[in-house]
Amino acid sequence: MAKNEALYEAVLKGKRKDVSSIVNELVAAGTNVEEILMESMIPAMAEIGDRFSRNEAYVPEMLIAARAMQAGLDILDPLLQEAGHEPIGKVAIGTVKGDLHDIGKNLVAMMLKGAGFEVMDLGVDCDVDKYKEAVDGGAQVILLSALLTTTMPYMKEVIEGLGNCGAKILIGGAPVTQEYADEIGADGYSDDANTAVKSAKIALGLAA
Amino acid sequence: MKFKLISCEIFFREMEFLLEQSPHAIDVEFLQKGLHDIPTEEMLKRLQAQVDKASEQDYDAILLGYGLCNNGLVGLRARGVQLILPRAHDCITLFFGSRKKYQAYFDANLGTYFLTTGWIERDEVAEELKELSIPNQLGMDMTYEQLVEKYGEDNAEFLKEELCDRGKNYSQITFIEMGVEPDDRFEKIAREEAASKQWNYEKVAGDLTLIRCLLNGNWNPEDFLVVPPGAKISADHTEQIVTINTDT
Repeated sequence: MAKNEALYEAVLKGKRKDVSSIVNELVAAGTNVEEILMESMIPAMAEIGDRFSRNEAYVPEMLIAARAMQAGLDILDPLLQEAGHEPIGKVAIGTVKGDLHDIGKNLVAMMLKGAGFEVMDLGVDCDVDKYKEAVDGGAQVILLSALLTTTMPYMKEVIEGLGNCGAKILIGGAPVTQEYADEIGADGYSDDANTAVKSAKIALGLAA
Repeated sequence: MKFKLISCEIFFREMEFLLEQSPHAIDVEFLQKGLHDIPTEEMLKRLQAQVDKASEQDYDAILLGYGLCNNGLVGLRARGVQLILPRAHDCITLFFGSRKKYQAYFDANLGTYFLTTGWIERDEVAEELKELSIPNQLGMDMTYEQLVEKYGEDNAEFLKEELCDRGKNYSQITFIEMGVEPDDRFEKIAREEAASKQWNYEKVAGDLTLIRCLLNGNWNPEDFLVVPPGAKISADHTEQIVTINTDT
């Protein structure tokens, strides 16, 4: 197993077209598709996330890296499936009922994909039933997002509505705090997209 | 009675109109619009400084022309003078005159951007606040040209849509007519903005009741939080919106 430096750099720098062409070349050359994903692309996303946490990269850099990652995944996904590759976990994310602000939610969804999760993007304005469907569809972690104090209280209704569904529930968004997560019995809280990935891994016992 | 009003300038015309009618002596301090976009501790710091200053004088109450405002008022402490805060998430409740009316309208009209005279004529964010503004720090205020220069054309298109489109998922402008407008110029601007974005446009009648009650001293507990000296404002995540925290 080896890291492809050019691919790693292309994901890290958000060079979507370079990512596509390098991935295509590697696939054509018969490189193991899991190796392409695990050794070059996922490490690049982990690095951009860590740089963000260290204030060395910002939201736009993270967004374009995630977009470049997606360009690679578009090519790799069907091949990974054929190869029997399993995602590290299945998660669902959506903004809560009444909230249409999805910049943060989209970024978290992309970072989760970039970390190797299968992500069900439920979109915006999600009611309890929508999250329930995701749990029924196999989601092991449900992530709730809200930007407004007007819509944030709906998170409590979701947690009550899901009851002991077996899935872990993580919350985030501008007005959300750890205190609020504790108050409503959420399993975790994150204040940015990189820690959201860590929280999802912790929730599934993939990280400590 | 003698009050001090510390208010967001977004209510400038409404306050000016109602201050003339209040039976009380009210000193007024308007603060810049846009404090809800800076970190909550920064908004709190600015408001606390105003409250502290006013508390040195002999007022019967300090009236807050604010709502919870993205939690920017959480932790605001009354010193020697009681604080009066409308139970509201944000200014739109005060324009609607009732948080129930606002909630009902919000639920029935998702994706609505509200405009009033204040939101039209005081929409410029002060330079000093721009640097602290979270949307600005996230890159949301970057122009297309700046994005191209920094991230290349291919990524600029994407970022413009994904990060910098403030109207993303919005589909309506609602102009709240408060009865303090000098003429129809504001309504016209609102209607034209909706048309230029190809959004739905609606005009609704506002209601000055809450602001009038604030200024007139009619602070019924259903609509107002009265914070006694020494206590702090806290968010309570229920329909009451705010509550008192007596922790020291």
